[in-house]
Amino acid sequence: MSDTLAPATVAAARAKTSPGKWIVRAIVLAVLIYAPFVLTSRSIFGIPLSNMQLLNLGLTQINLMLIAMLGALSLNFLTGSAGLISIGHAAFYATGAMTAAIFGTQLGWPFPLVLVCAAIAGALAGILAGLPSLRVRGLYFVLSTLAVHYVVVFLFQEYQFAFFGVVGVPFAQPSIGPIAIDSPIRWYFFLLPLVALVYFGLRNVLATREGRALMAMRDHELAATAMGADVRILRLKAFALSSAIAAVAGALYAHLLTNATSEVFGINFAIQFIAMIIIGGLGSLSGSLLGAAVWLLLPTIITGLTSFAADSTGIVRTVLVDHRPQLVQMIFGLIVIVLLIFAPGGMADLIAKLRAALFGRRHG
Amino acid sequence: MTRPLLEIDALHMRFQGIVALDDVSFSLDEGKVTALIGPNGAGKTTMFNCVTGMYRPTDGAIRFAGETITGLKAHRIARHGIARTFQNLALFSGLTVLQNLLVGAYLKGSSGLLQGMFRTGATRTEEAEAEAQAREILAYLGLDDVADAKPSQLPYGQQKRIEFGRALMQKAKLILLDEPMAGMSKTEKAAMTALIQRVRAEMGMTFLIVEHDIPVIMDVSDKIVVLDFGRKIADGDPRAVRSDPAVIAAYLGTDE
Repeated sequence: MSDTLAPATVAAARAKTSPGKWIVRAIVLAVLIYAPFVLTSRSIFGIPLSNMQLLNLGLTQINLMLIAMLGALSLNFLTGSAGLISIGHAAFYATGAMTAAIFGTQLGWPFPLVLVCAAIAGALAGILAGLPSLRVRGLYFVLSTLAVHYVVVFLFQEYQFAFFGVVGVPFAQPSIGPIAIDSPIRWYFFLLPLVALVYFGLRNVLATREGRALMAMRDHELAATAMGADVRILRLKAFALSSAIAAVAGALYAHLLTNATSEVFGINFAIQFIAMIIIGGLGSLSGSLLGAAVWLLLPTIITGLTSFAADSTGIVRTVLVDHRPQLVQMIFGLIVIVLLIFAPGGMADLIAKLRAALFGRRHG
Repeated sequence: MTRPLLEIDALHMRFQGIVALDDVSFSLDEGKVTALIGPNGAGKTTMFNCVTGMYRPTDGAIRFAGETITGLKAHRIARHGIARTFQNLALFSGLTVLQNLLVGAYLKGSSGLLQGMFRTGATRTEEAEAEAQAREILAYLGLDDVADAKPSQLPYGQQKRIEFGRALMQKAKLILLDEPMAGMSKTEKAAMTALIQRVRAEMGMTFLIVEHDIPVIMDVSDKIVVLDFGRKIADGDPRAVRSDPAVIAAYLGTDE
């Protein structure tokens, strides 16, 4: 292929795949809209489905996954794109939940406004958590985010016991104007556009000036500085945006569960997001979605599969039924390890490789 | 005579007792190519780092286009119109060639994360302008067919040109090139020399170049400054410097 022909060929290829892409998009959208009805009615086009055919999944599981996707997207933006490793993500969830409790549960403000407050509180908490990044790097910075985690969880605990006690902070049923979000299906249609908004929003960020500067800073800080970027301000901005999204996710999480205690936002909660973005692919936004889906849904699916062994006896029963939770954890762990061995770049990388193998080398 | 674009005035740089630059003064004329040469450890890269704000000089002054920029932070100095390349490539490995160049246009734009998120009108205009400029420079450098590749997939000579292109994107008045031809073949070196001369002729930029290849330096520069052990030992036009006994001694050694 000659050099002068190359751009024209690419343009032609783009034009040719374009209608196909639109068909795929339409199908994806149709599936996303129809899926919650399938999961609610436990049937497809009027044909009843068994629990196994539905992979043991329920709509609430999907809703929790959608919220986790917000967390994974925001952490991957911070860690994968801006290069800032943080174990403080549970703290921003807790910040969002606490803000929602103050303005929603206690002051009775409308739900959309409560979410805005959570976003603002999250951004402020993020800037505070990001301040040590101006002085320390690497592991020391990671430790400072761990410190932020404990401070915020402590504050949440104090707040919880000062106003609500050991049972936890209650959250009212949310509504947007006259529409109450009172069923899993309504939650689904509220969360889905929100996830899409955050996904496409972050994709836009990374395709424009400051988002690109963040990735440049991650790859070569000194060179990014030589381009005129003030990396200290950039880091704080990245933190603010990421934690604002995480705080909104936290407020939603608390509302979906209708109750939150300080124990919910433990260190495991923070680490699960790190796991999601590594499984999905660091620096890949679509990978964040995949990682959250694997993390939230795979254990349920494995649990469903082990139910085949419900009638067995002896050692099989001991392993598959009596120790089911441990077994699920083990299989899940194995799958994750295998995935990371064969696709160290995460699922996004794996899919890109498969695509390249199936449809020939990708351009570039 | 015009005022020099960059003036280095009695610059000192010490690192805990080690003197990297000792009372160095020289100046750069606008639109000229000046070379900074000297044996390893002479202080050339230290000088670059002082001028671009990566080090804060211990003493002395740096003036650029009439303004004192001594000790300013690196991103502030970039805003004054000084761009640089690095001795060992400093490309953004996770970004494509085109994106690498677009980062060079950072100072031309003004939109932040939120404007980017919602792709406001101003952001879109800014992005379109930056991309048009980047594609123009890629074509100028003969890199238009690798715009979507990652730098690591490309040969070394091309990576050097990408970094040069990224500096051009900054539309700076002064470009500092730290060993632009290191590790290049003879033909690649000739192409780079031609490129520097073409950019200077067509865009009127001023260059300060650190380079070890003396014949190339003689060819491309209008003026040569020689450092040895942090001190300036010669300063002048290429022919004069070449026959300077102090320079010959520094490069070949002398019997003490």
